[in-house]
Amino acid sequence: MLFSSVEFLFRFLPVFMLCYLLAPAKYRNLALLAGSLVFYGVGEPYFVLLLIFSVTVNYGISKYMFWEPASPQQNRLQKGKKRRRIALWLSMFFNFGTLFVFKYWDFTAGTVNRLTGQDLMPVLRLALPLGISFYTFQMVSYQVDCYRGTIRELPGFVSFAAYVSMFPQLIAGPIVRYDEVKDRMQDRKIRLRYVENGLKLFTLGLGLKVLLANQIGTLWNTIMSAGAGNLHAAVAWLGAIAYSFQIYFDFWGYSLMAMGLGRMLGFRIPQNFDHPYVSRSISEFWRRWHITLGRWFREYVYIPMGGSRKGTGRTIWNLFVVWALTGLWHGADWNFVLWGLSFFVLLTIEKNSYGKRLEASKVLGHLYTLILIPITWVIFAITDGKQLMAYLANLFGIHQNAVLVGIPQFMRYLEEYGILLAVCVLFVTPFPIRWYDKWKDRWFVIMLLVGVFWFSVHEIMVGSNNPFLYFRF
Amino acid sequence: MKKEKEKKQKKQRRNLQLKENIYNSPYLILILLTSLAVMVCSDEIGFGAIPEQAQIFVWDAYAKMPGKQDAAMASSEPAPEIGEDVNEVHTIQEDARQEDSMTDLEGETENAGICKEENDDILNDSGLPADDADAENAENTEEMPKGTTDFLYYEPVQIDSPYYKDAGKIALTTTYPYTKENISYFNDAAFLGDSRTLGISDYAGLEEADFYCDSGMMIFKLLEEEITYQKTGNKVDLTQVLQEKRYRKIYIMLGMNELGYGNTEMYLKKYREVLEKIREWQPGAVVYVMANLHVSREKNNFESEFNNININDKNAAAASLANGTDIFYLDANPLFTDEEGFLNAELTFDGVHLYAQHYDVWREFLLEHAVEVQDDVQEKGTEAYLENGQDENV
Repeated sequence: MLFSSVEFLFRFLPVFMLCYLLAPAKYRNLALLAGSLVFYGVGEPYFVLLLIFSVTVNYGISKYMFWEPASPQQNRLQKGKKRRRIALWLSMFFNFGTLFVFKYWDFTAGTVNRLTGQDLMPVLRLALPLGISFYTFQMVSYQVDCYRGTIRELPGFVSFAAYVSMFPQLIAGPIVRYDEVKDRMQDRKIRLRYVENGLKLFTLGLGLKVLLANQIGTLWNTIMSAGAGNLHAAVAWLGAIAYSFQIYFDFWGYSLMAMGLGRMLGFRIPQNFDHPYVSRSISEFWRRWHITLGRWFREYVYIPMGGSRKGTGRTIWNLFVVWALTGLWHGADWNFVLWGLSFFVLLTIEKNSYGKRLEASKVLGHLYTLILIPITWVIFAITDGKQLMAYLANLFGIHQNAVLVGIPQFMRYLEEYGILLAVCVLFVTPFPIRWYDKWKDRWFVIMLLVGVFWFSVHEIMVGSNNPFLYFRF
Repeated sequence: MKKEKEKKQKKQRRNLQLKENIYNSPYLILILLTSLAVMVCSDEIGFGAIPEQAQIFVWDAYAKMPGKQDAAMASSEPAPEIGEDVNEVHTIQEDARQEDSMTDLEGETENAGICKEENDDILNDSGLPADDADAENAENTEEMPKGTTDFLYYEPVQIDSPYYKDAGKIALTTTYPYTKENISYFNDAAFLGDSRTLGISDYAGLEEADFYCDSGMMIFKLLEEEITYQKTGNKVDLTQVLQEKRYRKIYIMLGMNELGYGNTEMYLKKYREVLEKIREWQPGAVVYVMANLHVSREKNNFESEFNNININDKNAAAASLANGTDIFYLDANPLFTDEEGFLNAELTFDGVHLYAQHYDVWREFLLEHAVEVQDDVQEKGTEAYLENGQDENV
């Protein structure tokens, strides 16, 4: 079920909220869990079983980790440490194993078979369970935190299951750490005020998704429909910019909706985006883009590997691993690896040379980021190697074929999408959100939001083009 | 007594708190009230609508039919089993043809019955008209060759959708002794259509033809709303344009945006209306009804109305309007689809529109399927065209 669908907005959400608000405090987590399973099960009637299975296994492992040995004369600490380590490895094996089978098996099989020229690994063609990358990472973070002792006591099964499967963040993040919701899991207050503010935030996200991302997405689609390789450089850049807007508003909108829903339920879901496109360097961009994912890789991969404390060589290696994995996480295809590694290259250069100077500069840093980011998104967007190369060549005015989409089409696109592009530029800057924060309780903002809500609903009803980009992962 | 008082106070306090909360939630209240109003008034959002279930039912029905999926999706290049199907239903075909002829614009006169071999020829010839058939037809009607529009029949699948049904037949390009023309053929041609026609306008290199098209254009809107004239980029009123300007060839391709709007009967009715008007305004013109291109396997969705069965249904309806004298049906699908009728994935990004470089193939197809305009009409048409041609840019 999409957040931006009539089924969600006018069926699931009202019915669920009513049940949730009326449920006695001690059954609220159960209501949340049941609602989340319904939410997931409607779209994935079979994979909901996988979700339940994964949650149960992880809870079992976690229970084993917290299990106290009966005989007190043994060295509890020593023994406990060993057991905890076994439990951690077990959970890693299970979680990454599941993720590998469903997401990376065919990719690996294809690569191995192509390299050896034989059919060594069978191709399974399994469908990708919705949100598996997100909830797997969330459970891994939980297990590691248990191992490290950040989580001191075993939560109840319902709390744990509700934490993993909580529908606002189940399918596309943010990747919430358990300690961020622990207190609210045990005891949270339900206030009409929270529902009010959450709903406002949700509407804001809905508007970004439906009114900006979906609309500008058609420009990218139109340009790609003409075919990479036939594009004048101006058109190619326009397409890259359109896609950059689309993916940003799509994902940011989704994250805002998740935050809003979380607030309506009485949680505080962490922020995922902090105006990434106004960054002055690629490092800064990644501190502002998909914050919870960056945090996950930093806390559970980069720092455990030694981070930047073990010399330059080791730091570069660590960065390489982190960015190769980040790329792969976004999709099982070589273009995603290339995409991740392009960040590795950029970040390594920045770290060792001009990074500091860029961030100190006023104009140069912005320019640098704004030119590089659309190129990286093109690598991200085009899975087919040949087409990707053709598009990248087009960006720099290199053409193998005749230019079929030239300046006349460019002018028409500008005419058609000019206003929308201007609005997108405005929403890339922090000003609209600042303005909203300042006036959000005033009647004119409220009326504006009502307008945004119903305009979005209208667009959902008439438009068929309403996918979430990040659901692929 | 004391306890009761305390209870009362507590209750009052709670009520007050709730009231205060409600006053502090104007947005929530507004959304709830408007939602309620919309749910009562709108069929689509309200509780009256259960489209989802219906769709799942369709899919189930579909899944239960072994092998039928292929049959239904087959374009003019069918798998062998479908060929058998065709032979089986051949007897029905005669009846069906009579029915078709009744729905024809003119109530087309009977053609010489097409024998099996002919039909097989068509099958083997990837949907392009068989030469033998042309020759025969040409002999039968010596002076004015008359084309026939054939259908490939198969066992239809039960579809439970308000928008379409499985027509049980696939329309084939009107059989006719077409001539091959060069690009100047399009000098007095008009193209009416949606985003795909826009693609022809942009990428097929037909500089001289007049294109009237918009993304999202529908047959229902064609003469009712203004449409973009691609040469100037201005919105024009097509009813006016068609009465003032003279065209000798008019190409129409509409139907994609109608997949989820109204139903096929309404589509056919409106299409007929539009063609009648066009013939009234453009008496000398040859009208080409172009088949809507299929969508790719990825885009094809049996759970929604966005699928090739629906497109075939619309195409068959449009093709039934072809009379073989001045209205012809052209199906370019065989050029771009695979053996199951899906648009080839290598030719498209979004599963709906061709890449720019493939419009050349389409242009060649149109040039190979040109009808010579009759001499007397030609003169009349030319005069009128020249008369009106000067104020083209008005």
